[in-house]
Amino acid sequence: MRNRLLILLSLLVISAMVLAACGGAATPAAPAEEATVAEATEAPAEEAPAEEEAPAEATEAPAEEAGSDAAAATDGPTLTIWTDSNRAPVLEEIGAAFAEENGVTLDIVQKGFGDLRGDFIVAAPTGEGPDILLGAHDWIGELNASGLLSPIDLGDNADNFAENAVAAFTYPDGNLYGMPLAVENIALIYNTDMVPEAPATFDEVATISQELKDGGAKYGFLRMAGDPYHFYPIQTAFGGYIFGKNDDGSYNAEDLGLNNEGSVASLEWYNSLFEDGLLDVGANIDHDLMTSAFQNGEAAMFIGGPWTLAGIREAGVPYAIANIPSGTEPGRPFLGVQGLMINSFSENQLLAQAFLQNVIATDESMQAFYDTDPRLPAWKPTADSIEDPDLQAFLAAGANADPMPNIPEMNAVWGGWGDAITLIANGTATPQEAADQAQEQVSSAIAGE
Amino acid sequence: MSTRLQGAPGGAQAPPDAAPNSLTALLFRIVLLAVIDAMAIWIVYRMVGDGYWPLAAVLIFITIGLNIVFLSGRMYPLRYIAPGLALMIIMVLYPILFTVYVSFTNYGQGHLVSKQDAIGQIESQTYLPEDAAVYSWTAYQNPATNAYMLWMTNPDTGESFTVTEGEAPVARSGEAPAQIDDFVQVPQNQLFSKLTEIAAISFGLPPDQVFQVSQTRLGQAAQYESLYTYDAAQDAMLNQQTGELYRNVNGVYASESGQQLSPGFATPVGVNNYQRLFGDPALRSSFLLVFLWTLIFAALSVLFTFALGMFLAIMFDVPEMPLRAPLRSLLLIPYTIPAFVAVPVWVGLLNPQFGIISETMYTLIGWAPPWFSDPFWAKVGVLLVQLWLGFPYMFVVVTGALQTLPKDIYEAADIDGANAWNKFRSMTLPLLLVTVGPLLVASFAFNFNNFTVIDLYARGGPPMTGVSTPVGHTDILATYTYRIAFGSTGRSDYGYASAITMMIFIILFFITQLQFRYTNMLEERGRNV
Repeated sequence: MRNRLLILLSLLVISAMVLAACGGAATPAAPAEEATVAEATEAPAEEAPAEEEAPAEATEAPAEEAGSDAAAATDGPTLTIWTDSNRAPVLEEIGAAFAEENGVTLDIVQKGFGDLRGDFIVAAPTGEGPDILLGAHDWIGELNASGLLSPIDLGDNADNFAENAVAAFTYPDGNLYGMPLAVENIALIYNTDMVPEAPATFDEVATISQELKDGGAKYGFLRMAGDPYHFYPIQTAFGGYIFGKNDDGSYNAEDLGLNNEGSVASLEWYNSLFEDGLLDVGANIDHDLMTSAFQNGEAAMFIGGPWTLAGIREAGVPYAIANIPSGTEPGRPFLGVQGLMINSFSENQLLAQAFLQNVIATDESMQAFYDTDPRLPAWKPTADSIEDPDLQAFLAAGANADPMPNIPEMNAVWGGWGDAITLIANGTATPQEAADQAQEQVSSAIAGE
Repeated sequence: MSTRLQGAPGGAQAPPDAAPNSLTALLFRIVLLAVIDAMAIWIVYRMVGDGYWPLAAVLIFITIGLNIVFLSGRMYPLRYIAPGLALMIIMVLYPILFTVYVSFTNYGQGHLVSKQDAIGQIESQTYLPEDAAVYSWTAYQNPATNAYMLWMTNPDTGESFTVTEGEAPVARSGEAPAQIDDFVQVPQNQLFSKLTEIAAISFGLPPDQVFQVSQTRLGQAAQYESLYTYDAAQDAMLNQQTGELYRNVNGVYASESGQQLSPGFATPVGVNNYQRLFGDPALRSSFLLVFLWTLIFAALSVLFTFALGMFLAIMFDVPEMPLRAPLRSLLLIPYTIPAFVAVPVWVGLLNPQFGIISETMYTLIGWAPPWFSDPFWAKVGVLLVQLWLGFPYMFVVVTGALQTLPKDIYEAADIDGANAWNKFRSMTLPLLLVTVGPLLVASFAFNFNNFTVIDLYARGGPPMTGVSTPVGHTDILATYTYRIAFGSTGRSDYGYASAITMMIFIILFFITQLQFRYTNMLEERGRNV
């Protein structure tokens, strides 16, 4: 019995080893002849990249076949880019020309924009991540905290990028972590039939709303409940802020301004809309309801981004886009920037940098990005050539925009500050109470523990 | 014996004394085991390469176990359950143990990579000493050996030299020629494909004449120096430029002044996560409220869905009911719609300004509940939505259970003169509870963690006032802790989230125990009916 078990076991191990060798995972300890046999007979596809990942050895190992040089030219390194579906076709197009000319294989992987960050965080540290990642500038705080990004050099093209877009991708350590492609910001969108001339101040917004309401309209100015992103222009118009700024323009997480005078004043203005019956307490308006109310002509004004335009055009409501109104000072929206970042765990650091500098940062590529997916370009020559009046209006509204904070502490703001704005919309707290509570919640969350 | 195997691993169908002697069966078993072993070896090899030691160890353990079970005749009975056991270890036990392990580490944002990787990342940072020259380079390659040579020019002085790997620089003059000795200039269209190779090489003669191309800008090279070196004895990183020492503090290298080097790494931190959990002011201030509402929500959800489902099931159990079959199918519709679709639709229907339900109520009675802004009505709303989503399940279960009830006792009850209510009270309900009791427990546990409905309804809102952490009136433990672990602290903290998970697990464990004890009681009573 015992003998048979032994024989069986040894048989098994042998067959397992044979199978493993054929499977293409030649262990480093495996004798050289065996490995060559396996490669010659099966030539498994997985082997190819493994060879390129050892460039140092390649220089030392004498290549005896005359054909090796030609082979090296055709199967060069693979540059992997993760992108969303909007940019994938452009990158494919640019990449195809680049790959053909330079013997570099380009692997464009398409993912949902929302999945890019999470997948990257999981994949990058294990070496499975892409060389280049498309993403938003406010991701860099989180990605950088785990050391997943390499600083980027814009080279001679630095002047061609919009300053605020570059500032957005710059981390407090002074390094730039992304090459900006497109920017986006919100503005005041109004129905030109109901509001002939854009209001210049938030007081005018309230007055016009009152007149419209008296005239039988359902809403004048409408905004969604909560949401610090869409509230930020109102907050800054009254002198409020979320994070104070250091001298070099970067955000200072220690200086939290949620219950300063200006922030409270902005909540008070918002609260007055409910007290005057211009908005309904507890109406639970979300982004969809807000835009569809505008499309139906039930609301005359709202603060929204370029992504709402398609629906409005389709609905056929006459509209125009104006700068954010002023309170005590001009309101500043958040600036969101999308761009390309480099994985610090990538084997192809210099290649990725060179690709961004020489292939992406060109008039043709940037124009191609704009043509396929019309967003406000961060590349000045392309931005200057825009003819679409709507996008021009959004660009103008974003001229004074603040980059959305890219420091990890911003994550703590959404919950507490969003709740404070919701409390006003629900009529369950006074502006001062709501602001004080948010300040306490967010600062204790930032302090951790 | 020519027992034919029917495909299952190990031929589980064969009787104990027959299978081991059959040659076909033996061969089949060996081939199958060989395939499994080969796969296991390959996966383990990959895992060890990626540094997943614990999972690799578990796989090895399972594979060896499977081999022993299927090769030893004495273990024959085990063969029936071995595949199931193996899967249970991988799919259930390992994740639980891993969660326990993670709850004792600081794995999370800022601590994602292993210590080895973090040190490698930090050591790969370079700096340029102040008066060091930056050169422009042109690449050459020897077609025979594939070795590289760089032609370097100092743009300030115009001086040029060439460097190869491991040899001292050779001074050159003039423009870069097309060929130097055996080295041919790399044509422009091949340069990109060779960048990764070139960037990995240290050119020149160590230790003082080492040149590297810039990792960030094409065409630049210099004598870059490592910014940090690792001191294994002190477990610290030394900054070569400033001489500052960064010591390992809970998985991140930090200087005396508190400056931290990125990235940090995952490391065991003892009971820190649990200390933080119990010391968290957020938990102290509102934990009880949330916990209470979680219990109420889970209990009422089960109660309402069961009551409605049972009522409908009993109604449709009456043979005289017209249109039984089509109506029964119609009642199942809510069950087939995913909560991800159904809940937002309900949120839209209930909206106080635009929702059809609220508008109708306004027209009829001149008032509609503030479904989302009032704490009480928000709770009512979320329970209603859960009722709509959950009653078809109970309807199906009770309909099935009703078929198993003995008919004779009802005849006996009729003879005794019991009315419908008495029959329901004393016979139908107790007998039903015996059958569906465990399902009610499961349903309770499910609703206890019903993240989807709560989050989609109002994201836990409306917000509470006077609390030190963002929390809403409809938040249950699952949504609340999710926000603490991922939403509000500004980092994805898997270690802390695992600690919270362990706590929820323990709470649920005790509640489930209590409920099972209660169900057992029901069962005993059921036998006495």
